[in-house]
Amino acid sequence: MRALKQTPTPSSPDPNSNSPPSSSSLSSASSSWVHLRSVLFVVTSSSPASSSSSDRGRLKSPWSRKKRKHALSPQQWRSLYTPDGKLRDGGLKFLKKVRSGGVDPSIRAEVWPFLLGVYDLTSSEEERDAVRVQKRKEYERLRKQCRSLLKFGDESMKLNDDDMNCHKEGGIQHAAHGDGSSMNCNKEGDNQHVAHGDDSSMNCNKEGDNQHVAHGDDSSMNCNKEGDNQHVAHGDDSPSLGDVISARESISSDERGLNSGVLLEEDDSSRGMTNADSSVLNTESSDSDSSGDPEVSHTFPSSDGREDNDPDFTSKNLSPLVEVTSKFRSNEDFTTWQRIIRLDAVRANAEWIAYAPSQAAVSDDKARHLAEVVGLKDYDHLESSRIFHASRLVTILEAYALYDPEIGYCQGMSDLLSPIITVITEDHEAFWCFVGFMRKARHNFRLDEVGIRKQLNIVSRIIKFKDSHLYRHLQNLEAEDCFFVYRMVVVLFRRELTFEQTLCLWEVMWADQAAIRAGVGKSAWSRIRQRAPPTEDLLLYAIAASVLQKRKLIIERYNSMDEIIRECNSMAGQLDVWKLLDGAHDLVVTLHEKIETSI
Amino acid sequence: MAALPARARADYDYLIKLLLIGDSGVGKSCLLLRFSDGSFTTSFITTIGIDFKIRTIELDGKRIKLQIWDTAGQERFRTITTAYYRGAMGILLVYDVTDESSFNNIRNWIRNIEQHASDNVNKILVGNKADMDESKRAVPTSKGQALADEYGIKFFETSAKTNLNVEEVFFSIGRDIKQRLSDTDSKSEPSTIKINQDQGANAGQAAQKSSCCGS
Repeated sequence: MRALKQTPTPSSPDPNSNSPPSSSSLSSASSSWVHLRSVLFVVTSSSPASSSSSDRGRLKSPWSRKKRKHALSPQQWRSLYTPDGKLRDGGLKFLKKVRSGGVDPSIRAEVWPFLLGVYDLTSSEEERDAVRVQKRKEYERLRKQCRSLLKFGDESMKLNDDDMNCHKEGGIQHAAHGDGSSMNCNKEGDNQHVAHGDDSSMNCNKEGDNQHVAHGDDSSMNCNKEGDNQHVAHGDDSPSLGDVISARESISSDERGLNSGVLLEEDDSSRGMTNADSSVLNTESSDSDSSGDPEVSHTFPSSDGREDNDPDFTSKNLSPLVEVTSKFRSNEDFTTWQRIIRLDAVRANAEWIAYAPSQAAVSDDKARHLAEVVGLKDYDHLESSRIFHASRLVTILEAYALYDPEIGYCQGMSDLLSPIITVITEDHEAFWCFVGFMRKARHNFRLDEVGIRKQLNIVSRIIKFKDSHLYRHLQNLEAEDCFFVYRMVVVLFRRELTFEQTLCLWEVMWADQAAIRAGVGKSAWSRIRQRAPPTEDLLLYAIAASVLQKRKLIIERYNSMDEIIRECNSMAGQLDVWKLLDGAHDLVVTLHEKIETSI
Repeated sequence: MAALPARARADYDYLIKLLLIGDSGVGKSCLLLRFSDGSFTTSFITTIGIDFKIRTIELDGKRIKLQIWDTAGQERFRTITTAYYRGAMGILLVYDVTDESSFNNIRNWIRNIEQHASDNVNKILVGNKADMDESKRAVPTSKGQALADEYGIKFFETSAKTNLNVEEVFFSIGRDIKQRLSDTDSKSEPSTIKINQDQGANAGQAAQKSSCCGS
């Protein structure tokens, strides 16, 4: 039976339509330019989705050479700033640009913290510096806890306790603290030291709050707020100017700290250790002797601040310890996460190597040293670049598991982090970008699988509204739950798209989400793309688009869900990300109201 | 879904659905890749959700199309992956001989099977990474065998890396399932077999284990 319904990728040519999509009168023209595009895509469908570099012109979508698909260029990016380092326009123009074409690879490390809500779009340079210092401290604290847990969790790693305990302290207070913060964004290095005030009271408060913030949906809003309020608020711990400057080559404060072997603050480190022990390891071993430690609530990252953000977290009157313990008890525990994190880290996809020459060229000594520090296992067969990458994955994923113990670690998260550490060389910055990413993506990894089911349901409804014929076919195969796109949802197309394509898709998606966070109304977007307002769920529209691209095949050839799963799982290397995004935006235009109101 | 004896495009006589389960990192995907493609890689990216591969083998002159489902090992994916238990005719329970906890978890996996799979599903216990140095081994062969005996299932130690016993595992479970299916075919009352298997979850299958590699 012939499919007659219109889909995002029909094969019927329509020679009358040649208006580019971003021009006016799209509402009436949308269907016809869809046709045009499909013709062009047919013509150019030899496009290998594996076009590897950042050169979008080589993605064969014809639009990529015309009106759209130009990535935000370094020049444009610089021109978007006012003299005091704010983004013009509250970042609106910036988001529009990214939304339509992604970001040039050379400026990703600077741009992503904005897209991911680490920095508020309206922040000044000064404010961002403050946020960076603040967040760096928080990250260091998490790492300190991780190391304590590692030590307790696995005796066999034979780590040197003294090193493990002390070097971080040194790092936090002194060397490492300054080391890292200058790395990524060029401008930061120059200006960073300007704004260290002495307003340590504010700093203290903030620290208390920040540490626990990240769980609810609005966590990054909190982060943004910090940016707003906190400009001059570095307390006593601010790195000295000299420290800050030193660190171009610093890749990891872990490593540097260890090298420097500073022996400071034993007290503090042991406090962190016992806290972590009592709160996290309780599920595993009951030999902790420190459950009464009064510092628990200050150092373990899942207590007070979270309640405001996480609706699930209602037990305000319980002590943090009890809350945390019960959470862990009902789930997998931190030891399990540590094990799986290491397992996944050493088998991470190596596609990133071409995109991070400096990290790919890391010395063997450095890589192995870091591996030892973080307790990586079974890595002898790997080349040093991959050992290094794996170690960084472990470092950050572990910190995240502590930061967000409700999610902890779930397989697939390493897929999401790997591109981030490829782009962002500084661990603490990569960590916060990851936190920003996970703000939404964490729902994919919930133990109760509610998040994933909800998203599969949205994909299902998009298909239902768009293509009832295909939907009926899926129903006949008992596949209307769209389980076959499970992997695409969980790791956001990372397995189906090439590295570069994945980043483009994510950037466009992040720009939508950033626009929503910033409260950009629908009207503001009308000029760029008629009636396609930013959506939280662009990914799901893109997934639906990828299925709809295969509608003919699915309807005519496939008679079981198994076959559709196989089709979807073998899409890797066959997708054109911009075609996918075109399809997604078309679906948003026609369906977003229906989808959003029927959720 | 039941086995489909040759039909329309008869490229097989039986379609047999197998499922690989076991903890993360025990080597499920590597076993599957070895069996389906004859290759091995040390760094296999983690399986997200579920996937399958196909290999058609020949047993006693019959073409057996094995559709082998590979699952994510992490507990968190269990609700999703257990949806696939029901359709499976055979389940390979995989652990890593160098990782004792993966072995201890086999009991949990079996409990999962009891809850979610068909009553008559064939099971086989697989201790993977048997090529590893003895110093790294955490689960002696005898322990694996004892557990298999306890559950009345066959047991193999394998290495996806060196291709030790990989064919044997899949052929063994394939043969048992084919036997079960052809028995069912030859009787007009399919439930007979089921009843047998039900009461024989332990004892009934224990009789089959003569041909396994043992200790």
